[in-house]
Amino acid sequence: MAKHKTPLLDQLETGPWPSFVSDIKRQAEFRKANQDKIDYQIPVDVCEDLLGVLELSFVHRRTHWKHGGIVGVFGYGGGVIGRYCDQPEMFPGVAHFHTLRVNQPGGKFYTTEYLRQLCDLWDFRGSGITNMHGSTGDIIFLGTQTDQLEEIFYELTHTLNQDLGGSGSNLRTPSDCIGQARCEWSCYDTQALCYDLTQEYQDELHRPAFPYKFKFKFDGCPNCCVASIARADISFVGTWKDDIRIDQEAVAAYVGGEFPPNGGAHAGRDWGPFDIRKEVIDLCPTECMRYEDGKLEINTPECTRCMHCINVMPRALRVGDDRGCSLLVGAKAPILDGAQMSTLLVPFIKVEEPYDEIKEVIENIWDWWMEEGKNRERLGELMKRQGMQKLLEVTGIKADARHVQEPRTNPYIFWKEEEVEGGFDRDINEFRKYHQR
Amino acid sequence: MDQAEANEKIVEALQKKKGKTKFYFNDLAKILDMKPRVAKKLINKMVEDQILEYWSSGSTSLYGLKGAGKQAAADGEE
Amino acid sequence: MAFVSSGYNPDKPMEDRITDIGPRKYDEFYPPVIKKNKGKWLYHEILEPGVLVHVSETGDEVYTVRAGGCRLMSVEHIREICEIADKHCDGHVRFTTRNNIEFMVDSKDKVEPLKQDLLSRKQEGGCYKFPIGGTGAGVTNIVHTQGWIHCHTPATDASGPVKATMDVLFDDFTDMRLPAQLRVSLACCLNMCGAVHCSDIAILGYHRKVPMLDHEYLDKMCEIPLAIAACPTAAIKPAKVELEDGTKVKSVALNVPRCMFCGNCYTMCPAMPIVDDVGDCIVIMAGGKVSNRISAPKFSKVVVAYFPNEVPRWDQTTACVKKMVDVYAKEARKYERLGEWAERIGWERFFEKCELEFTHHLIDDFRDPAYFTWRQTTQFKF
Repeated sequence: MAKHKTPLLDQLETGPWPSFVSDIKRQAEFRKANQDKIDYQIPVDVCEDLLGVLELSFVHRRTHWKHGGIVGVFGYGGGVIGRYCDQPEMFPGVAHFHTLRVNQPGGKFYTTEYLRQLCDLWDFRGSGITNMHGSTGDIIFLGTQTDQLEEIFYELTHTLNQDLGGSGSNLRTPSDCIGQARCEWSCYDTQALCYDLTQEYQDELHRPAFPYKFKFKFDGCPNCCVASIARADISFVGTWKDDIRIDQEAVAAYVGGEFPPNGGAHAGRDWGPFDIRKEVIDLCPTECMRYEDGKLEINTPECTRCMHCINVMPRALRVGDDRGCSLLVGAKAPILDGAQMSTLLVPFIKVEEPYDEIKEVIENIWDWWMEEGKNRERLGELMKRQGMQKLLEVTGIKADARHVQEPRTNPYIFWKEEEVEGGFDRDINEFRKYHQR
Repeated sequence: MDQAEANEKIVEALQKKKGKTKFYFNDLAKILDMKPRVAKKLINKMVEDQILEYWSSGSTSLYGLKGAGKQAAADGEE
Repeated sequence: MAFVSSGYNPDKPMEDRITDIGPRKYDEFYPPVIKKNKGKWLYHEILEPGVLVHVSETGDEVYTVRAGGCRLMSVEHIREICEIADKHCDGHVRFTTRNNIEFMVDSKDKVEPLKQDLLSRKQEGGCYKFPIGGTGAGVTNIVHTQGWIHCHTPATDASGPVKATMDVLFDDFTDMRLPAQLRVSLACCLNMCGAVHCSDIAILGYHRKVPMLDHEYLDKMCEIPLAIAACPTAAIKPAKVELEDGTKVKSVALNVPRCMFCGNCYTMCPAMPIVDDVGDCIVIMAGGKVSNRISAPKFSKVVVAYFPNEVPRWDQTTACVKKMVDVYAKEARKYERLGEWAERIGWERFFEKCELEFTHHLIDDFRDPAYFTWRQTTQFKF
């Protein structure tokens, strides 16, 4: 018998898609049965009370959670989000229900041995409910009590060799796409760079000293599977400079219908036979491709590496050999001036250990933003306020036509005195010799 | 500036503020009159020594003297 | 229950403390076939919805079976994932950025038993535990935020509407009939922890009522300067208020027309609750993308300003999403993303085809960029 009746939630236990309600009920039953005789460190009925409070939210159509200022474990200013239930008498099991963010491994690869260790720890000291994973990328441990936070951290660091992720005005837990681990398009090792920068900037990740949050995201190619360009303060997007590698025989195989276009992505419908002209050549945004006499040609200098032709013919076309990444900066989702996309800052940078060139760009940006950024101002907003020119100045990067979509449409250039020959100091009397008052 | 001097400056400045107990990092850096990246080391130490403590909205982090502020008690859960 | 210490000594928090070690290193967890072939992959192919093969220059192949999952996941469910991964994948598994679970095997003959195993597992109410799909020109899993399960300022639930929406879109999760991939995202308030602003279809919770002011308690519960500073539009100022019993208290006043309903003040000041059963609603956005393929990444646009929070299945919301997906599937050209299609036919035509009403709320009036979204040409469609 369930502790709380949940008639509204119960209606989410049908239909084909996995039901989180059934899943939480399962965990509730598991805790109640406690076959392994676990000495649960938070109330056994935590999952039942979680369902109870959620049902109440469905009835009221309002949340029943309050924010708490708890930030982390001792010495850390991030990694924990404090939560309290606003009906603690009705749902004592979730009266205190804090979240821990646990820094996920690159590419979100796991061994079952390690996952089970996480499960055992979270079962014992928390609700047993997680997010795999949170929006930023962390493993989320959803719901425990204050006295367990240090214990969990101690076990994570001592037994699991595992640290917390970021929250608050920190470097947020960096995250990456699957990259070269299992993708032929990845132009650099996203996991290696993500891991290196995460380790290098542990202090920034755990101890808040930024005006606001700061995100790194690593996409191996311009397909942007982790959406770095839309949500990272620095988006690392893989790219290349030289020719797309073409296997003409494989091109012919696509044309001949031997290989399915787009890796078989369109197999659910009959789109007719593959038409390379219509589906590739004519859709190329720069018109830099030709297909004549059974031969595909790409005019590389005109290519903007949008990935379309490569996506359509993965067995025939491969990214070039001179690979690296582009750095775009300043993306963010909400509020103030609305959403912002990242802006191109460094068109091409080699991604090679120890990544000193990349770190120099990062640290120049941080120095500027930490000093000039207003409280709760994201990098993209500071860029808007002080201008692209300022960003170029602080990073020592020369302006380039690639930095803009188009040049300015107004001529209101703010010339600086030192840019104008002779400066702004002029002799009015000398002027008056030739111009009457 | 050594740690003791930084401690003294910050504690004095924060105690003077009436009706406000939580501060952004940059407010503290300004009290020390230092570049943020340099001030960070001293301020981190003050947290470790339990002179300062963090408070977080989840998205934004603030600093305050340990135990100060109206929400401190509620967050202590007692 | 008795408190069991991990070894941590609260009196000496720095004793034996280990900090700043970061995450586990990625390559500890690679399956052998990944470790061996990293950086050597030649091409991939989607063999059927939810099943991929990647072929390496070494001749090795890795077969991936992608299963949908709830991002809200119990450890018992994770243990079941582990059991499957032990049985079929030598103890390795990974998750995607969109909350899918990927089981990888190193030869084709291992695919079918794995698939059968995954599809045979159902929850008590009959829901699949591990539906296979989410690849190619179809709908993949929804990325989302916490909602009523854990957040303090949500304007809607997250897991509930996601479950309802994925039930409605299920056939497009397990199929690849669309002109291109279609990404659906959900964020439970405009703070967008889920960054839904560049999705083909975004479901967004939105408050429509300004925060209440609990004057009697406000100064006791909150630091007024923090509440004031939290407001992105500077709509909050300090005020002296006289309570019904005549006592004067320090509180705040709200410049109502300036409020953009973000709830940031409530985060800083619990005496300013914003959530409301009637005020809170769903906004639908459409036409965004993050990929640079063919056209540049784009923001999603607001196409429905208001649907009520209809528990438990958000019927109007899911019907609207389903309608857009079906019209897009019918009308768009191969490779065309939803936003590219809408731009090609014109947004006036998009509203007509999707049978959506265009209202004054859909015209941008937020700061400078609004001007550039108004029609400044004689080219439009009747």
